[in-house]
Amino acid sequence: MLFTLAMIAAKFLIWFLRFTGSGGTTLPGRLAAKIYPGILLRLSGKLNVILITGTNGKTTTGRIISRILEINDIPHLQNRSGANLKSGITTAFIEAASIRGNFSCIMAVIESDEAAFKTVAPLLSPKVIVVTNFFRDQLDRYGELLTTVQNVKTGISQCPNAVLVLNADDSLSSYIGREVPNKVIYYGIDGYNSSRSSADIAGADASNCIYCTEKYQYSARTYGHLGHFFCPGCGFKRPEASVACIGVNRLSLSGSDVALRFDEYEVNNSHSVQINLPGLYNVYNALAASACAKALGVPTGTIIDALGTFECGFGRMEIIEHEGRHIRLILIKNPTGFNQVIDYLFSEKKKMVIAFFINDNDADGTDISWLWDVDIELFRDLRNLVVRFYCGGIRAEDMAVRLKYAGIDPGLIFIEKNMKTIIEDSIRLLSEDETLFVLPTYTAMLEVRKLLGTEFNLKEFWK
Amino acid sequence: MPTLEICHLYPDILNLYGDRGNIISLKMRSLWRGIDVNIHNVSPGDAFYPELYDIVFMGGGQDYEQQIIHEDIVKVKGEAIKEAIENNTVFLCICGGFQVLGKYYKSSDGKETEFLGAIDLWTIGEKKRLAGNIVVELNLEMHGKDTRVAGFENHAGRTYLGKDVKPLGKVLTGYGNNGIDGFEGAVYKNTYCTYLHGSLLPKNPDFADYLLEAALKKKYGGEFSKLFEIDDTLEKLAHDTVINRLLKGLKHKNK
Repeated sequence: MLFTLAMIAAKFLIWFLRFTGSGGTTLPGRLAAKIYPGILLRLSGKLNVILITGTNGKTTTGRIISRILEINDIPHLQNRSGANLKSGITTAFIEAASIRGNFSCIMAVIESDEAAFKTVAPLLSPKVIVVTNFFRDQLDRYGELLTTVQNVKTGISQCPNAVLVLNADDSLSSYIGREVPNKVIYYGIDGYNSSRSSADIAGADASNCIYCTEKYQYSARTYGHLGHFFCPGCGFKRPEASVACIGVNRLSLSGSDVALRFDEYEVNNSHSVQINLPGLYNVYNALAASACAKALGVPTGTIIDALGTFECGFGRMEIIEHEGRHIRLILIKNPTGFNQVIDYLFSEKKKMVIAFFINDNDADGTDISWLWDVDIELFRDLRNLVVRFYCGGIRAEDMAVRLKYAGIDPGLIFIEKNMKTIIEDSIRLLSEDETLFVLPTYTAMLEVRKLLGTEFNLKEFWK
Repeated sequence: MPTLEICHLYPDILNLYGDRGNIISLKMRSLWRGIDVNIHNVSPGDAFYPELYDIVFMGGGQDYEQQIIHEDIVKVKGEAIKEAIENNTVFLCICGGFQVLGKYYKSSDGKETEFLGAIDLWTIGEKKRLAGNIVVELNLEMHGKDTRVAGFENHAGRTYLGKDVKPLGKVLTGYGNNGIDGFEGAVYKNTYCTYLHGSLLPKNPDFADYLLEAALKKKYGGEFSKLFEIDDTLEKLAHDTVINRLLKGLKHKNK
């Protein structure tokens, strides 16, 4: 009885919030749990759950998995980007269920915030847990990086039947794989070594061994602390990856051509695959999704199809082409992600205008010092291509100072607190041979999308 | 041409959120004035030359990282660092770098870790972190320059100063050393310690210049000790915007 009441109340609230246009995703779940505390456990128990956590790439990985399931005609539900705390996850289940708590789908692809994972994982009893990676992210919110790693490990230890999908190139994820009894499928990149010098990687978040504190050595690196690490002190080293990228032929704005191995025991085990997403970080996301699909026993051909036809989602590189104007929207949220975006701008051949929108609300991280960990200095090497820098958002001035100290000509830096003005000016002044890159932090992205939405009829994000 | 030798201690390990922004600021503000800069990155196992450096910078780390450098700084480099501090070398030490210059750290479960003991101060760890934006009124003779600095603090340790150690400044909004006495940081000779991590100097250019002038004065006497003005429009804008916002109490968060 209480269960039905909780369902009705939450469903009404979902409808009401949508109707009023606020698109809220946490309140309905919270309300339902107030009325019937066991609601998430009861609903999720009816579905096979894939649970995704980690610092970067959760949303994209989840979306690729969803695409793979779609191609295989497996009906599933998925929580919305950003709705990845317990309340938002509960809302996603309520939304897909009938008032009696029955589903028309059989699986759930759920992304969970790293801090919430410990609480959420035991409730969902997932079939597969995917951990993307661990990087420093919003210390004011998550606390220390190793605390986050331990929290995820604690959550996993309460799900002994889940198959783990872990990034072999991330020493912190591999550490978890060694410490828990679960079955593990590792994925990683075998055929690539970064051309950036190790000095660029000085800000690595896990440079020393988690077991013995000796400095890791690498036989190959991709970015951040990811790569073929090995500890000269205690011998802890990167595990073999069964799902691997064994060759990178092309990395570009539109996507990557890579050779993937999906199964180490397969006879012809090298597949040419086109990944319809830019940058090396998305090769990792594609591998994570592929390894998860292998854990589910999905045919390899459908994975390859999904990777080639996948379209970017919410703020993860959205493309707007409108009356000869080229606009790209990419979310930036922590140093590693921001550096990846800069790497990616290096493959751009056309002139560009760059608009940064830096907010410091809770969801962005209230501490904006992380801007100093980003290799903004690299923009100097793009000086022949970047026409103007706009700085907007609550912390526009901090971004402007960062650019100045990176050696960018202050004459090219424009501060404007009104986001609408930046969007309007930058689009009005944009010529056909220029691309406008809009790079917002999370809450700034919500505002920017609204502004662009009015102008270009962008899809609402909860659709 | 004047040259500053800047030592960055443990840049690969104590590199919490944006600490390198301070090195970038010291370097750029020198170069813009025609002062040459050599950066010396000193990691565990590397030699520390107390007589070579004009400015020594040490940032903060997470507990795990502090643990990695602990033996090196206390047992290996300790005496050389103390010698440089006593000899009036300019030091800027932030967060973990601040704490480790003190006598000890006592964690919330009572475990005591011996630190360098270069300055008479000590730190007690507590569960609740003191995190948020902070504005401090510097307790320094700045000759009419702006004595207010803005930054972000995020620390579990509460630091207390011995009676001969002066605080760096007074907290206008935020927590400071321990959230109780209203003071922030520490000054001993030419050593400046603070909890304002990350991008402290870029947004507080007058304090950056204060440190550069102190280093130039010690090295060259009167000759180069007065820096000429440069265009700080963007820096001042960032500085004033955040301070005005915080002092209005609009956005200050007490977590």
